[in-house]
Amino acid sequence: MTESYLAPLWISCKTVLTATVITFFLGIAAARWMARFSSRYKGLIDGIFLLPLVLPPTVVGFCLLLFFGKNGPMGQLLLSFGTTVIFSWPATVISAVVMAFPLMYMTSRGAFEQVDSDIESVARTLGASEWRIFWSVTLPLAWPGVIAGTILSFARSLGEFGATLILAGNIPGKTTTIPVAIYFAIQAGNMEEAFILVGIVLVIAFLSLAAIAYWKGRQSLYKISPTRQQSAE
Amino acid sequence: MLEVNVKKIFPGFKLDVSFSADQEILTLLGPSGSGKTMTLQCIAGLAQPDEGFIKLNDKTLYDSASKINLPPQMRKVGFVFQNYALFPHINVYKNIAYGICNLPKPQIKDRISYLLEKMNISELSQRYPRQLSGGQQQRVALARALAPEPEILLLDEPFSALDTQVKERLEIEILSIQNFYKGNILMVTHNLAEGYKLASKIAIYDSGRIIQCDRKQKVIDSPANYTAARLTGVRNLFKGTIIGIEQRQVLVIIPELGDKVRVDLKGKMNLLPDQSVTIGIRPEYVHLSDHPVENTFRCVADRIIEGVSSVNCFFHVQGKTGAKHWMEAILPKSDLERICIGQEYYLHLHPEHLNIFRD
Repeated sequence: MTESYLAPLWISCKTVLTATVITFFLGIAAARWMARFSSRYKGLIDGIFLLPLVLPPTVVGFCLLLFFGKNGPMGQLLLSFGTTVIFSWPATVISAVVMAFPLMYMTSRGAFEQVDSDIESVARTLGASEWRIFWSVTLPLAWPGVIAGTILSFARSLGEFGATLILAGNIPGKTTTIPVAIYFAIQAGNMEEAFILVGIVLVIAFLSLAAIAYWKGRQSLYKISPTRQQSAE
Repeated sequence: MLEVNVKKIFPGFKLDVSFSADQEILTLLGPSGSGKTMTLQCIAGLAQPDEGFIKLNDKTLYDSASKINLPPQMRKVGFVFQNYALFPHINVYKNIAYGICNLPKPQIKDRISYLLEKMNISELSQRYPRQLSGGQQQRVALARALAPEPEILLLDEPFSALDTQVKERLEIEILSIQNFYKGNILMVTHNLAEGYKLASKIAIYDSGRIIQCDRKQKVIDSPANYTAARLTGVRNLFKGTIIGIEQRQVLVIIPELGDKVRVDLKGKMNLLPDQSVTIGIRPEYVHLSDHPVENTFRCVADRIIEGVSSVNCFFHVQGKTGAKHWMEAILPKSDLERICIGQEYYLHLHPEHLNIFRD
């Protein structure tokens, strides 16, 4: 029983990495789309994207359960393919993605909007396609913000508890992630396992913060002032 | 050959301009917020007019009637932004290469070293924009815009962020661009001296309209109306009434100056006796006179500002209206000794240098 923390650690690693990759692309796509999108429904869509950030995770978990459940629209669809996600490993990924998405979306959208639109305009006059501009100008300039968003999403996925417990349950070796394992270890009075898992999470959290600080520092490298004079002139 | 005729309506502002330019430097001159930059953006395709057309060398860039609106990528327009808008994350070489990446590699290299040399920035090719001074950034921005051989070069307030010495050097640089770049150059500025130095033609903007578009000397010598006069530095403007019309001259009574003044018509027609007009003269054309001849006015020196090469002198005139009126003169340095504050002088306004505008 001494190595019972290994299974949650492994499951959490798989879940968090998968969820972060999915959130990364989903968040960037949504942020890019919304940064250029103009419609009177913009505020509404923005609100829906940000909703999981303000709702209690149990409420999100409940909504996901309704959506993916046997009688839910997505559940029905999956059932017609002969499968279900509830109480399975993919459910831990789905909960983590939904909970982390607003952070990725919000942070990278802010980063995209901060990119000087004149720089994108000049790229247009130089003949670059919108796709090329995004990859060669917008994304590199917004990169520090995008990375910060990714690290925040990573940390949020790692800490996901409420929605995961509701949608994926607590099936040891299958859906028990670190936060869920900590909760049940404490419930069972298994303080040694709880200590080890908490220690692991603490280390990862500190590393995430350090990484964000590093990238924030990188961001200032791109700032230029047109009036700065140098000796050569 | 560039032909522009566009309308664009904003809340509280209407841009409605029409002009053409041919293988020359045209300056769009006017106060900020008069629509100059918006005009450039319409030409570049970064903003879409509501109606009208834009033609560049027989190619239609925009035409509301036939629903043509080329994207900026297809227009072959070089745009230099006010803040230069260099790509901060890539070096000078890659900045300039950005618009010509479809060329074969050796050709890119040749083209860039040619432009670097022309702009005198060969040694900077590996630097990043943040390591460059304002003037160097400007040169890079020019080289980057010229690299794809655009058919027109648009410069938006190219010198606004530079100090005087750098600015003067770059003005020479821009004039020398014409030696190897044969397209149109369109420049936006709010500074008359800057616009005059570089341009061959000046279009004067005022709240979304062009009030005069002429050869630059014509714009200075005979502004089309009161606003054009004010914007081109005619700082002495007086209201009056026509009392006599001759072949080439009119006599105007100016209550503010307390006397009549003779003004050359310079081809202006349709002036009638008793019509109220405004006359104007540039301060550099106001001269001191020893004798009270025609077109001279007795004025009291009130303030003197000594410049590097000339003297700005503010006189006040006691007109018949009772109020004090100002007359500004830019005099040669040699006149400085003659002028004492509080003393009376005769100021001569030559009929040839006076402009007349109908109210």
